[in-house]
Amino acid sequence: MKLNKKLIAVALGAAFLSAPLHAGASEKELKARMDKMAAELEELKAALKASMQKTAELEARQQQIVAAESNNASASTAAATAAATSAATATATSVATNVATTVATDVATARAETARSASGTILSGYGEINYNRPTKNASAAQTDIRRAVIAIEHRFDEKTKMVSEFEWEHGVVSASDQGESEIEQLYIERELNNGLRGKVGLFLIPSGLLNTNHEPTAYYGVERNFVETAIIPSTWREVGVGLSGDTAFGLTWDTGITTGFDLGKWDATSTEGRDSPLGSIHQEGQLAKSRDLAFHGALNWRGVPGLLLGGSVFSGKAGHNTEGFAANDARVTLYDLHARYTPGAWDLSALYARGQISNTEALNATFVGNPTPVPKSFAGWYTQAAYQLLKSGDYTLSPFVRYEQFNTAKSYAYVPQGLGVETGPDEKVTTVGANLKVGEGVVLKADYQKFKEDKSRDRLNLGMGFAY
Amino acid sequence: MRYQPLLALSACALCAPAFATQYLSAEQAQQLMFPDATAFRPQPLALNAAQMQQIEKLSGLPARSVNWRVVGAFKGDALLGYMVLDDVTGKFELISYAVGLNPDATVKQVEVLTYRESHGGEIRLPAWRRQFVGKSAAGGGLTVGEGIANISGATLSCTHLTDGVRRIAAIGQVMLKK
Repeated sequence: MKLNKKLIAVALGAAFLSAPLHAGASEKELKARMDKMAAELEELKAALKASMQKTAELEARQQQIVAAESNNASASTAAATAAATSAATATATSVATNVATTVATDVATARAETARSASGTILSGYGEINYNRPTKNASAAQTDIRRAVIAIEHRFDEKTKMVSEFEWEHGVVSASDQGESEIEQLYIERELNNGLRGKVGLFLIPSGLLNTNHEPTAYYGVERNFVETAIIPSTWREVGVGLSGDTAFGLTWDTGITTGFDLGKWDATSTEGRDSPLGSIHQEGQLAKSRDLAFHGALNWRGVPGLLLGGSVFSGKAGHNTEGFAANDARVTLYDLHARYTPGAWDLSALYARGQISNTEALNATFVGNPTPVPKSFAGWYTQAAYQLLKSGDYTLSPFVRYEQFNTAKSYAYVPQGLGVETGPDEKVTTVGANLKVGEGVVLKADYQKFKEDKSRDRLNLGMGFAY
Repeated sequence: MRYQPLLALSACALCAPAFATQYLSAEQAQQLMFPDATAFRPQPLALNAAQMQQIEKLSGLPARSVNWRVVGAFKGDALLGYMVLDDVTGKFELISYAVGLNPDATVKQVEVLTYRESHGGEIRLPAWRRQFVGKSAAGGGLTVGEGIANISGATLSCTHLTDGVRRIAAIGQVMLKK
């Protein structure tokens, strides 16, 4: 400023000095010129002040933006500086504060997006190891690596991703061992429209509470509940296409067309069908018979915080028009209703599931004499209450109690008198235990299960599980 | 210097596509939170060690970052409040969200800007987000199970977002409260 004033003064002085040299310049003329020059000087001063103010303002803003981004990756810092520079040029002409805001938030978005696109592939996994000890027959105590799962999710772009889960069960897999190696999920998901998601591949059927949330950290008790293993064959997946969406008032819907069950796999001589009727005839994307496809739909409402109300239905024929097969018109239908409410430290849930296999008279006639004909209906329900009793640092202790009642063969299709198999009573199981969570990803579990009908199955269970 | 335009361009290219999963931009969120505001000014925060400790104590969570993206909302010269922008990881993917704070550091509003998980999008439901309104880090009630109800099937997204809001409320309490 000082320097500028000096310059102007010198210039003015020079002008004064040169003035008398003008021959014939009257006093009046001289005064007019002086006035004009004084006005020009004022103008110059004002312009200079404004320009200096602008520079200071821009500098401050630039510094702010650069400071905000200084902790970021060099790429985005450079971008921020570049943006700030262009912002400076922009604001030099208009002094709108909003411009700087926009630039800053744009830069922030750019930074976030850069961070996101950097991690296109995500590796995760879960696993559980369980110990079961029948209280009336300790020699049958068993320890098992129930499952070890490696999950890979890859995002191709903003809207398209691949989800996969690879699983090993029971520790060792070979021709002479009992373990299994399987692909549990393998699908592509694409965001079609705001909120609408399309899926194609091997994906989980949205049935019940556990099937789509089956990590050991997500449920209470060492073992998954009976209803959602014997009636709903968790972890239940099919190959097909699916569509999901949600609404503003909390309703989520899922629907799809997939492979279904293969009743041709039914083994009337084994008890497998008695343990889990659908678990014994599911196809899991393994050379799955696809003459008959199945439909599914699910609705879940979460409009009130802490509450979930939902239901699902799955239906498809299971004969696949197999030559010589006695139940080509058989249809498997499974539906469920579920509720979960989590007020404060409580976690309350209830579920009812029922399955039906129609048109099995002729097939069961061929099974006469065998212990396990195909049931016409199977059903079960449970109710469960858990309470977060202690929370200290990373440790969370939640005792729970669950009562379930289920029957894997509630009724059979008609067979001539004397040739059929009697239906059994509903099994009733009470489970009492606790989950001890360590942080978010690790859980230690202990519980005791009491069976009402088959008391020899009473057992003590211990387990560890993790998910990341 | 030579590469700056290139970098700026690639930064723009990265944020150019319209995401179906992006529900709100930062500008839309600040307008939603402070409809009366006449100006929004970025007021980025840089925390020092002592402030970070205070925030950790108040929220029970690591303060995580030194720098925070804060925008002040003004009506003329009067401060209406702040919007803090942040990202947390849901189950696998980032959730971008914004927390509106009143000048007294109580939560004014929570908005989800982007959500990319296949499940758990219910955290966007207004009824769920309303649970945060009026609460502060000092007053409590900003924890899943203690004031904030869980969403079944979206436990991780719920918990992580709630933790994020609690951390920001603590930052407001320590750094921004008037």
